[in-house]
Amino acid sequence: MEKRRNKYDVVVIGAGNGGLTAAIRVLQGGFSCLLLEKHNLPGGFATSFVRGRFEFEASLHELNDFGSPQEPGDIRTLFRELGVENKIDWIRIPEAYHLITTDKQYDCEMPFGIDAYIEKMEQYVPGSRKSMTEFFELCNEVRDAQTYSNSVNGNTDAEYMKKNFPNFIKAGSYSVNEVLDALKMPKKAQDILNAYWCYLGVDCDRMSFLHYGSMVIRYITRDAWMPKMRSHEISLAMDERIRELGGDIWYNSQAEKILTDEQNRIRAVQLADGTEIETHHVIANCSPHLVFGKMLEKKSLTEQMIRATNARTFAGRGFTLFLGLNKSAQELGIKSHNYFIYDTADSVKQYDLMRRVETNHVQATVCLNNAYPECSPPGTCMMYFTTMFMSDDWGNISQTDYFKAKDRVAEDMIRVFERETGCKIRDSIEEICVASPTTYARYCGHPQGVIYGYETADWDSLMPRMMMMKEDAKLFPGLRFAGGYAMRSSGYSSAYVSGDLSGRQTVGDLKAEVK
Amino acid sequence: MKFKKQIFGFMDMLRFKKLVPNRRKALAEGADTPLPTEYRVNQMADALHPGRMQVELVSARPLPGNMRELVFKRLDAPAFPFFRAGQYVSLQSAVGNSLVSRPYSIVSSPREALENRLVLGVEDAGFFSGHLVKDAKPGDRFRMTEPSGEFHYETLRDSGEIVCLAGGSGITPFLSMAKSMVEGDEPYKMTLFYGARDLAHIAFKEELDALAEKGLRLIYVLSDEQRDGYEHGFITAGLLEKYIDPHSVTFFLCGPQAMYDFLEKELAQYQLPRKAVRRDPACCGNREMEAPKTFQLTVHVRDKVSVIEAHENETVLTALERAGIDAPNKCRAGGCGYCHSKLLHGDFFVEPERDGRREADRKFGFLHPCVSYPQSDMEIEIP
Repeated sequence: MEKRRNKYDVVVIGAGNGGLTAAIRVLQGGFSCLLLEKHNLPGGFATSFVRGRFEFEASLHELNDFGSPQEPGDIRTLFRELGVENKIDWIRIPEAYHLITTDKQYDCEMPFGIDAYIEKMEQYVPGSRKSMTEFFELCNEVRDAQTYSNSVNGNTDAEYMKKNFPNFIKAGSYSVNEVLDALKMPKKAQDILNAYWCYLGVDCDRMSFLHYGSMVIRYITRDAWMPKMRSHEISLAMDERIRELGGDIWYNSQAEKILTDEQNRIRAVQLADGTEIETHHVIANCSPHLVFGKMLEKKSLTEQMIRATNARTFAGRGFTLFLGLNKSAQELGIKSHNYFIYDTADSVKQYDLMRRVETNHVQATVCLNNAYPECSPPGTCMMYFTTMFMSDDWGNISQTDYFKAKDRVAEDMIRVFERETGCKIRDSIEEICVASPTTYARYCGHPQGVIYGYETADWDSLMPRMMMMKEDAKLFPGLRFAGGYAMRSSGYSSAYVSGDLSGRQTVGDLKAEVK
Repeated sequence: MKFKKQIFGFMDMLRFKKLVPNRRKALAEGADTPLPTEYRVNQMADALHPGRMQVELVSARPLPGNMRELVFKRLDAPAFPFFRAGQYVSLQSAVGNSLVSRPYSIVSSPREALENRLVLGVEDAGFFSGHLVKDAKPGDRFRMTEPSGEFHYETLRDSGEIVCLAGGSGITPFLSMAKSMVEGDEPYKMTLFYGARDLAHIAFKEELDALAEKGLRLIYVLSDEQRDGYEHGFITAGLLEKYIDPHSVTFFLCGPQAMYDFLEKELAQYQLPRKAVRRDPACCGNREMEAPKTFQLTVHVRDKVSVIEAHENETVLTALERAGIDAPNKCRAGGCGYCHSKLLHGDFFVEPERDGRREADRKFGFLHPCVSYPQSDMEIEIP
């Protein structure tokens, strides 16, 4: 184990969900690791902040694929292996979601559990049972196929796949809408089922069925969980774990350059103040756009890197309104934990409306007290409303209009929520905070305030990304990515998984070098 | 399972097999134009949130009430960021062997910031402010943090009518708030009660009177002097009711603790919701103690370790500053989280009402040095 001042086996750039996980994996593999973070806290988006008597969750709506202690999902199992599961107090999210659409006047509350979900759907859409049952069967096969793929580290045997997961392969190249049509699912059931689409940020004509199906099955069968002390509890648990394993974390330490030697191999990471940290392995918990556009020494930049990076499309730019209300959820009539409110049930039309700040009225809204009543003082409740812009429209706002622009979007969110749910919240606002794409750019450095990495649409969908994991890493040996821009795309669970993969793969690289 | 997208299953297989070649091709065919190095939204983030700025004192003039007006320009960029009127900056400098800093409310308006002008009004009340009032001279350079803080109007939360209650040097944020209203950047109607000992202790009178001509409703309240056109006494409930309806406004309070305590009693009868009264938090100072103990404080900054002295009656941050350690800090009131540090071992004390930490910070042993007093030898890691 090599560790002395300013020399590490691996330097991880960015202490977001991916970076924290990767650092733990490197340390568990027996190698030394320095984690660099530009902010003074770990977590990236996974954090919280205090305003008055409220502690707001910064971004986590619910942790997917977590499962119960007895029947753990993949993420709980990962947390167990990382040694952080028991450092965190968990609460279970009570129901799947509450979908409201303005155009078709849907108002549907969907539960967790396949049977309960199908039953509820049959109530809303009589005659949907058969196609819903087939949908979940197909999703189960997708999940089993992915479990097999993971168990062989992506080196799947084609014949085995064909024999055991024929429908996975048949459905594998189609979009969500194509598959649901093929299942002859009634349109209304499709609309209700597709409510989660905004969590992946790609409309259902362009989103791969495999991606969506594998997420939905994980939500519905393994339900969702949340740390009591907001996602900051996960981030600090991982910070503590890294320290326990002998790793170093430097906060307020922005990595500026990745320096290379004559053979174009990584030789060091340079901080903003000029400090150089020797290393041959970097795991970047940030975007390839930043790494190849700004950080990597120009002499080592290849045309292939430039083309591969330019080819990709940024996903949604984030916007969140946080409200601390001086009445309880009950008093205000807020019944659900998790609302999806759309202008239209048509995800393609909706995606288009989300391109512009003015035409976007989508919100994924959480009232945390309906999952964890004690998250704020008695007689109060906390809400957060999230949306995304599918273009750089926010960049048109001037500095002097900035605060007003934030208020305009926030006011629209309150207006839409009140109109669609009938719950009047405006007069009860005790604390308010608004995070715009500018805020996300400020704290996490992501280009244009993107919160979802690269769009997993069309050719860049999840499946080919996973299948090309090894190939993509060859773009620049010694460098791997973790977090929302990596192979597993964005979202909490995906970011942890990418950190796990890149961390372990880097350990593999190091072990191969030793041999 | 009857899923069949196409009649021939091998077509689906073929499509599946093409996923990788398709992606490989798309990646190879990306543009070969240089990758962007700047992004508009990130540029705006940098402009609004530069973190720490380099500034120079341009001019200074004495003000009534043992105060001094300090005018700064920015050196590391052509202008200060646009901000929310009511916010503060932290001014930082070396004084002797110490690296000291204090937050001060901004007097000038957000529009003036864009003309590279930022004004503070500093009262001689301690080690650093004494230096600023007595010794600082034009040409002196300082480090300044970006404008910060939640003591400002919120359109969606607050009443359209705000009532600002100022005591002594607590007048400073309200000058900015009144100017910003007059300049059209804030939508509220503003009534300002300014309490001072006597006419001679009213700072910024000329500016305030000019703002009163342009829409600020201004009431001077003198405690020790009777004068025509001025209210006499303290800012009481009775006096407030003469001018405003306490139930339909949002109050903004800035002044000494004694004023907060007094006003809290005066306002209690209205049973206002918590949201209706906003206070500008005061700096966390020394504790009164008979014979404060001295402890050993071990400080880790990245891979460097130093051992310094820390007194029981002073905050950990004060100990760091005295030792000349460049410890991040902004609000000095426990709230902004900028000094967030890891406790490696030892004990400290923090007043519950000052404890702005997150719940998990307490669980995993983090502290805000700006409001934490050492209770034993301590070892901490600062970012």
